[in-house]
Amino acid sequence: MKRMIICAALAASIAFPVAAQEVSLGRFFGACEDAGSDTKASVGEACIIQSIINAASEQIDSVTINTLPTDWGNYYDQIKAAYAGGTPPDVHVMHRHRIPEFAGLGAVANLSDDLSAAGIDTGDWAPAALDAVSFKGGVYGVPMDFHANLWHVNMDLMQAAGLVADGNPILPSSPQELLEHAKKVKEATGQDYLAADFAQFPIGVRLTLALMWQQGANIFTDDGTATINNAEAKNAVTAITQLFDVELANPKLNYADSQQAFLNGEAAILVNGTWVVDFYAAEAAKSEVALNNYYVADFPTLFSEGATWADSHMWAIPASLKANEPEKYQAALKVLAFINDHNIDWARTGHMAVRNSVLNSDDYKNLPHRAEYAGTADIAKDTPPSERYGAIQDVLNRELQAIWLTGKDVDTALADAEAEVQDLLDR
Amino acid sequence: MLNRSYYWLILAISIPAFIWLVPTIWMVSLSFQPNEVLARTTSTTALGLIPYPFTAQNYADLFSFGHTPLWFLNSVLVAVGMTLGVLLVSTTAGYALARLEFPSKTLVTIVCLIGLMVPEQAVFIPLYTMFADFGWHNSYHALILPRVAVPIGVFLMYQFFKAIPKDIEEAARLDGVGWLQIFWFVMLPLARPAMMTLAILTFLYAWNDYLWPLVSAQKREYFTITLGLASIQSNFAQSEGLGRVMASGVIASLPVVILFLIFQRYVVQAMTVGGTKG
Amino acid sequence: MNQKLAAPKRLLSQNQAALILLTPFLATYALFLVYPFFRGFWISLHDWNLLAVAFNPDAKEFIGFENYRKVMWGKNIGWSIFANPIMQVLGLIGVALSVYLYRTRRLSRATAIAIGIGSVLLILLPGFHPGEGGRWYDRRFWPTVGNTLLFVGLAVPGVTVTALVLAAALNRETRAMGVLRTLFFLSQVLSVTVVTLIWQIMFSPRQGLIANVTELFGGSPIVWLTDERFAMAAIVITTIWWSLGIAMILFLAGLQDISRDLYEAGALDNATGTKAFWFITLPNLKRTITLVIVLQIILHFQVFGQSHLMTNGGPNDTTQVLVRYIYQTGFRDSELGRASAMAVFLFLIMGAFSILQFVLGREDD
Repeated sequence: MKRMIICAALAASIAFPVAAQEVSLGRFFGACEDAGSDTKASVGEACIIQSIINAASEQIDSVTINTLPTDWGNYYDQIKAAYAGGTPPDVHVMHRHRIPEFAGLGAVANLSDDLSAAGIDTGDWAPAALDAVSFKGGVYGVPMDFHANLWHVNMDLMQAAGLVADGNPILPSSPQELLEHAKKVKEATGQDYLAADFAQFPIGVRLTLALMWQQGANIFTDDGTATINNAEAKNAVTAITQLFDVELANPKLNYADSQQAFLNGEAAILVNGTWVVDFYAAEAAKSEVALNNYYVADFPTLFSEGATWADSHMWAIPASLKANEPEKYQAALKVLAFINDHNIDWARTGHMAVRNSVLNSDDYKNLPHRAEYAGTADIAKDTPPSERYGAIQDVLNRELQAIWLTGKDVDTALADAEAEVQDLLDR
Repeated sequence: MLNRSYYWLILAISIPAFIWLVPTIWMVSLSFQPNEVLARTTSTTALGLIPYPFTAQNYADLFSFGHTPLWFLNSVLVAVGMTLGVLLVSTTAGYALARLEFPSKTLVTIVCLIGLMVPEQAVFIPLYTMFADFGWHNSYHALILPRVAVPIGVFLMYQFFKAIPKDIEEAARLDGVGWLQIFWFVMLPLARPAMMTLAILTFLYAWNDYLWPLVSAQKREYFTITLGLASIQSNFAQSEGLGRVMASGVIASLPVVILFLIFQRYVVQAMTVGGTKG
Repeated sequence: MNQKLAAPKRLLSQNQAALILLTPFLATYALFLVYPFFRGFWISLHDWNLLAVAFNPDAKEFIGFENYRKVMWGKNIGWSIFANPIMQVLGLIGVALSVYLYRTRRLSRATAIAIGIGSVLLILLPGFHPGEGGRWYDRRFWPTVGNTLLFVGLAVPGVTVTALVLAAALNRETRAMGVLRTLFFLSQVLSVTVVTLIWQIMFSPRQGLIANVTELFGGSPIVWLTDERFAMAAIVITTIWWSLGIAMILFLAGLQDISRDLYEAGALDNATGTKAFWFITLPNLKRTITLVIVLQIILHFQVFGQSHLMTNGGPNDTTQVLVRYIYQTGFRDSELGRASAMAVFLFLIMGAFSILQFVLGREDD
């Protein structure tokens, strides 16, 4: 049926050139084939975004949207390949950290002058959101969220270990306390204290980065000097490895396995992003899922200052579309405006909204668990901008995995990581 | 010949053969189990090897809103297109090199066959930029063309035509039949088994190719089933559900397995020829 | 069509016919293999960013062999015989063995030369190492080559031995044997994505069949794909399961060529069963074995899907392989020049094995 609509739309666009535009849309978040177009009912990142897209396709006059592949693994490889092949999608999602690379090369369009005409009020964006999509004075995209690492908590396990006070979990405030809490949970319940994907995606990297930032350190300076082989990094790493050393956490779990462990009640804490809050809440409500009493907490401060890894999802339009196909460019802007208008729906995933009007609305404040991680926006942080963000994360992920999966010496691993990141920064 | 030790041998090999088959059985079995159950455990009945509780819902879902049917069709198109292309260029060139006399034939033969040394992985980047320059990516011809000119095909046909006795075509020559007619009416019918072999080899290769479609096709409309399957199995969110992913795997495999079972003789022959002589 | 073409008095000359028949192949061949090959080499001589060049064709810079240096060389690289004693001693043994076996006529000249060259490389290459304060410019390249070699070194003997044993056991023309052969061959026709899909789940410590079986016997499951000690083993097992078929078929074909008389003569000398396998089957199958090995080396050196889909090259790069590194460098890091330099390296190795295969195929003919 969908194909027929698209075919019909295509046929119509041939007959009346201005009547209909088919906008191709690139995104990750995974596939949701039966999302429908009810933006209030869908659950999980994949289905919520797809329902918004489906609704846009239905509701915007003379615009139909064709969603491209949605897998994570090869997303940026594929987007680059598409740009290089001259066939980028008409709108696509990307991370804030990719702006230096894509805007720097002139791949994505500068939207500054066209946003208000399209009904997008940049004044309504939170300052950090505007900052996220800005590059050298221009606005290169429409921000959709802030997402950050959170601590997802199984309250039943915490309760059993005596780590609950006034209905709130007691979280550690130092690496020593982290270890003590972990021991308590193990003794009381036999389960691991903390689980996270330490073996696949760079979630362990983000955890380590947060602990470095909490000591006022960073992995490289703004002028491009790698600073990884130092005491702060070592503190951060050992804060985590001390749990592995006494088997209070398992570094070998990948993304799906760590999530499953948490849902099965085999870990008191899961370190994962904002994107799973509604999904875990929905799972916790099911009787057959071991996790019953679900709570979300800000990433605790184990050192001197609060910090957690954060990034933004944003939507961009290729520069070539703006230059060569003004009508389709307008259609693409309409799609971005629609997504911007549905910021509240996207926030249902657990992500933080970017629009002040949404952030201050009751609908937003009343979202499940929202109040529990209200502090996260203030401690959100990321590494300095770099065109080599992806490759740098990859280096860190490899070296950190070497430490906790293969027993590589911490000093050697950090020295290697520093040398390699420096190479990337110098390239 | 068929003594007792023979039956012991059969029994002894049946055990590893069964173990060999277990992963495949498991995939099929998982594809017939409900996703909600699989999310909790994969070993409900007999370690999950028997699909109980049973459901065919995964297949129904696959065909009602997955892209699997489209990808399946793409794979058929690409594989058939590539096979026809390979047959066309390989039989003609193989015949010319094996049976016709023309200036600097040795040189041409060497030039044609030296390409056997170049693995596809060594040229996929330049091919990618070249197709990008032409604006050819995301199309069926982009998926088909780079694999049409395979020297191994020419080599197979060359070997085959070389082995045909001379007198067959000499008789035709005396009757004043042209070379092209001899090729078309005399040689091609003779070459049918070799073409069959080459066709199956190419079809299997096309059906299973991964790297080139991965870099060339970014639009889902042009995914082959192999590529599409890779895209759903790497899903972060795993929203598809294990059962449905497995069902896609079964659907992706069915044609090649059936093809193999029907044409087993040719496949075996293809592997033998391609292996020892290539 | 025949009416029309056969009717004219003047038929096409042989040259013209050859030209017509060769054109389709030569055109596609030149366009899609020969030209890309040289273009790949040309790209490898440039600093060539995938995106930058796409937007501005002049954004590339000719830098000669700098990419090769950046990929394969380093700062203060020295050579010594003790840099990697294990590999180098293995190489020395290899050289000695090939000379000895050739002298005693147990190896043909080509095979001896091939093993000899391989062994010399084994002495030479691992001998390079960064000296005081030095380091490789690309710390991942040689380890990646090493992983690829390790993969080949595990998968090829694994496939060869298993296939050989099965072929010897299944070498009878009965219906039951035919069915068993089919069973073992079946996995060969599956695509890499299906194979990795199955085995990814098979190996999963949580949902995997292997883990389920281990737990049934009270063991704690192995975390195959993220444990350094097992990740490579896991993709090797997957590969053996997947690609046993071709090798088995080739061995069966080789076995058919061994005359029954040999076995009957052997039976008179009490050589049956295992003994017959060692003293009759193996020696007569030598050429097939060599061919299977070379073929497998060429095939498995190009491994990509297993590593890309099952382990993402991890943990800690232990399953990162050459083709995946080329793909990553080209499409994730956008550095087509470097990626192409690696592709040329891949071609050189593959080319060497292709020549070896060709020579071996010619031998004894």
